Amino acid sequence: MASALRTAILGHLRVPVVANGSKLLTPLWTTSIRSMSSHDDHLEKTQVIDRILDIVKSFPKVDPSKVTPEVHFQKDLGLDSLDNVEIIMAIEEEFKLEIPDKEADKIDSCALAIEYVYNHPMAS
Amino acid sequence: MAFAMRVKVPPNSATLQEARHQTFDFFRTACRSIPSIMDIYNLYDVVTPAQLRSTIAAEIRKNAHITNPKVIDMLLFKGMEELSNITEHAKQRHHIIGQYVVGNHGLVQDVATKDENISNFLKNFYKTNYF
Repeated sequence: MASALRTAILGHLRVPVVANGSKLLTPLWTTSIRSMSSHDDHLEKTQVIDRILDIVKSFPKVDPSKVTPEVHFQKDLGLDSLDNVEIIMAIEEEFKLEIPDKEADKIDSCALAIEYVYNHPMAS
Repeated sequence: MAFAMRVKVPPNSATLQEARHQTFDFFRTACRSIPSIMDIYNLYDVVTPAQLRSTIAAEIRKNAHITNPKVIDMLLFKGMEELSNITEHAKQRHHIIGQYVVGNHGLVQDVATKDENISNFLKNFYKTNYF
């Protein structure tokens, strides 16, 4: 009986509704910065590139002037496969990662290394 | 206990490719244990991890010309034994410094700031008689 009364009353009430078509007052940039979130501390691509190039340049067998983000370790820099593994280990240490063997075998050049680190969720 | 953790079981590598793969695995294991080695023997002022990595690579490269997979297996076994000895603190600091830090240069290169102001002449003088 109360529910019937309720329906009757609701049928006759008029509640003012204001459609909020006005522009939101919060500026747009605040939606892209989530201050409490821990998901946004992903590395910037430029940072990744810089750090990886530093690692490669400070490798004693490498000529720093030849290092570019596209350089191939064995073909362009004249390193051998053991040096390749060493550079990958240096990258692991720098970004606090652990790269599984199968992936490490494929990383042959700066470009691949940058891409791998950038896409890795745990890179820091 | 550390030895048990790190025993790689290289079933006798049938081919050179397999032996190569085992070598790289060994190198990776050694590099990953570098931080703990530096911690155990307190090598922070004496050497950087990058230099240790280069030293390990140089040691591996000394035997790079070998083509018999069984010989490579034996060398890897000896390498693993050495690495286990080092990581379970069976060696001492002067062993590590003498064998892996000094070995190639003839004198301990200090990474700490103490020696940065001496002249090149003095550095060469300390290193060798002939320069």
